[in-house]
Amino acid sequence: MKNLLKTLLVTTVSISFSALSAGGGSYLPNDEMPSYSGHKLTTSMQNGMQVYMNNCMGCHSLKFQRYNRAAKDLEIPESLMIENLMFTGEKIGDLMTNNMPIEAAEKWFGTAPPDLSLIARSRKPQWLYNYLRAFYSDEGRPYGMNNTVFKDVGMPHSLESLQGVQDKTEQVKSLENEIAYAQGDIVSARAKLDSGGKKGELNDVIAKAEKLIHEKEAELVTLSAEGKYFTIVKAGELSPEEYDLAMADLVNFLDYVGEPIKRERKRLGVYVLLFILFFTGMAYWLKKEYWKDIH
Amino acid sequence: MGKMTQFMGWIDDRFPATKVWNEHLAQYYAPKNFNFWYFFGSLALLVLVNQILTGIWLTMNYNPSGEGAYASVEFIMRDVEWGWLLRYMHSTGASAFFLVVYLHMFRALIYGSFRKPRELVWIFGMIIFVLLMAEGFMGYLLPWGNMSYWGAQVIINLFSSVPYVGEDLAVWIRGDFIISGATLNRFFALHVVALPMALLLMIFLHIVALHKVGSNNPDGIDIKKHKDENGIPLDGIPFHPYYTVKDIVGVGVFLLIFCWVIFFAPDMGGFFLEPPNFTPADPLKTPEHIAPVWYFTPYYSILKAVPSQGLGVLAMGASLVVLFFLPWLDRSPVLSMKYKSPIFKVALALFVVSFFILGYLGMLAPNDMRTLVARICTIYYFAFFLLMPWWSQWGTTKPVPERVTH
Repeated sequence: MKNLLKTLLVTTVSISFSALSAGGGSYLPNDEMPSYSGHKLTTSMQNGMQVYMNNCMGCHSLKFQRYNRAAKDLEIPESLMIENLMFTGEKIGDLMTNNMPIEAAEKWFGTAPPDLSLIARSRKPQWLYNYLRAFYSDEGRPYGMNNTVFKDVGMPHSLESLQGVQDKTEQVKSLENEIAYAQGDIVSARAKLDSGGKKGELNDVIAKAEKLIHEKEAELVTLSAEGKYFTIVKAGELSPEEYDLAMADLVNFLDYVGEPIKRERKRLGVYVLLFILFFTGMAYWLKKEYWKDIH
Repeated sequence: MGKMTQFMGWIDDRFPATKVWNEHLAQYYAPKNFNFWYFFGSLALLVLVNQILTGIWLTMNYNPSGEGAYASVEFIMRDVEWGWLLRYMHSTGASAFFLVVYLHMFRALIYGSFRKPRELVWIFGMIIFVLLMAEGFMGYLLPWGNMSYWGAQVIINLFSSVPYVGEDLAVWIRGDFIISGATLNRFFALHVVALPMALLLMIFLHIVALHKVGSNNPDGIDIKKHKDENGIPLDGIPFHPYYTVKDIVGVGVFLLIFCWVIFFAPDMGGFFLEPPNFTPADPLKTPEHIAPVWYFTPYYSILKAVPSQGLGVLAMGASLVVLFFLPWLDRSPVLSMKYKSPIFKVALALFVVSFFILGYLGMLAPNDMRTLVARICTIYYFAFFLLMPWWSQWGTTKPVPERVTH
């Protein structure tokens, strides 16, 4: 019995661990976002809201969020918010909508800019943080910009004035070239295989190419971790470090908007659990009293 | 005579209040050796009450229409006082319901609680389980997120593989040619009215049948064989107060875990609330990977393991139907795993492992290797039940004691 339970437990735990690790897409760069708590987090969210209202709100509404709720939760005085963060004469109790003409927007960008109220819940904050820092110059795209985290995204780099323009470093470009060539080798080897080529030889070619791709991809990950993925080719208002912090602020704000009650529920949760712990203790004591005479 | 006794006398002359109280609680004798596995019946009842109460309050602000559903859920999350708590209690409660019901069913499996004379208790329980699956499936459409939409799309499309009437059947279920507001409305009606009523009725019958035959116990023996001079089983204790106070401890431990999820991890890392469901339903945007919520994945895996979709649907249905016959499949001379042969323990352990593997694979996109493993597990799932009449008689059982042990 004990052994069976143990086996079950071990299997369950190991399965759930592998299930969790199975998540998380692969994209580069994939840097950790700086994490804040307490007052520092509030300040970061305030800054984030400022960045949002100045750069994003024109296209992306937050239609489930109310101005006064944000004012209260982010500890921004309402008068200050009306003066500095609300530009088109809304009332403080209004939802944060905008006047983006949807049909025209579809023509401009290929798709209408989505409402971002829940973006931090459908995409993870870390994804957003990296996405906002992954625009690079690509002449093949309509607005001259592409993104390594969200390939061929319709959105232009609206934060270009802050970040400037960045490009992939030479190392990254050459690694990507090598990978592309290796992929080409695989495709042509497979085609030859299908048309009756020498099996042993061609399989060797494929295995070698796959190994090479694997190695080069690992090198890309290392480069990205060292911060050598992109290089600034045209400076913006902010230094790269300042830009990273601003993006962390922006993502913290979006994370707040995704679930305004989040911090409050965690605070409450501590008391709820403490009460239940006390309740369970009392219940256990009561049970022991009642069960004294059962043998 | 005190005022209270007088009052109860007045009631009892008109309604069997004291009689029911005694028959089902104060003088309902349950075996004294219940263990950990016996908490999950009362916990299922607790979660049921949670779902009904939070469900009623959610209904007060939810808008069951294609245009308004998604926004009304966000309205509940943001603008309704404590709406977020109601919603998380309900969404976490759905997963908790399946968790405790699975453990409750597993208890029956290890102690032979479905064996004679408890066949009807088991069958009513199985009906509850199937109703619960329907309830969960329809409830999942209501937030009208993109995973709600596409999950329902995939599952309802399964019906179109039924020969001849398939397409018409799928249209009949949806009330439209695609999933639409019409589908949402009928799922809402079924989720909040029809299915809960059916569930309540079946739970009532489940308990009535149980109290007629009495609870099984970890030794799988009949406590009514040994009674004292008053006809009370020697190994029985009144359900109230003994098991009521004991179950409250179980409730406490359960609430610790339940509330931890609600307050600290309501998404449960994407297992309870899936990330794509935080974008509104969009018939033009298919999520990268569509998988049902965790509690359906073992059956979904069985469905995908079968090469033809029509047969897959059949296999998925059969994987549930076969459970109904369990009381007649198990032919072991003893009820409890404690006294069964090692063959049973090995077979059961393998079953649990393959059930978990099926559940895990059901969450992932299929590839050759995964499909192969899912097929092996599916075959084992059916072999475990369909060959049970034979293998359950193999090996030597241990002698069963006369009186319960604890």
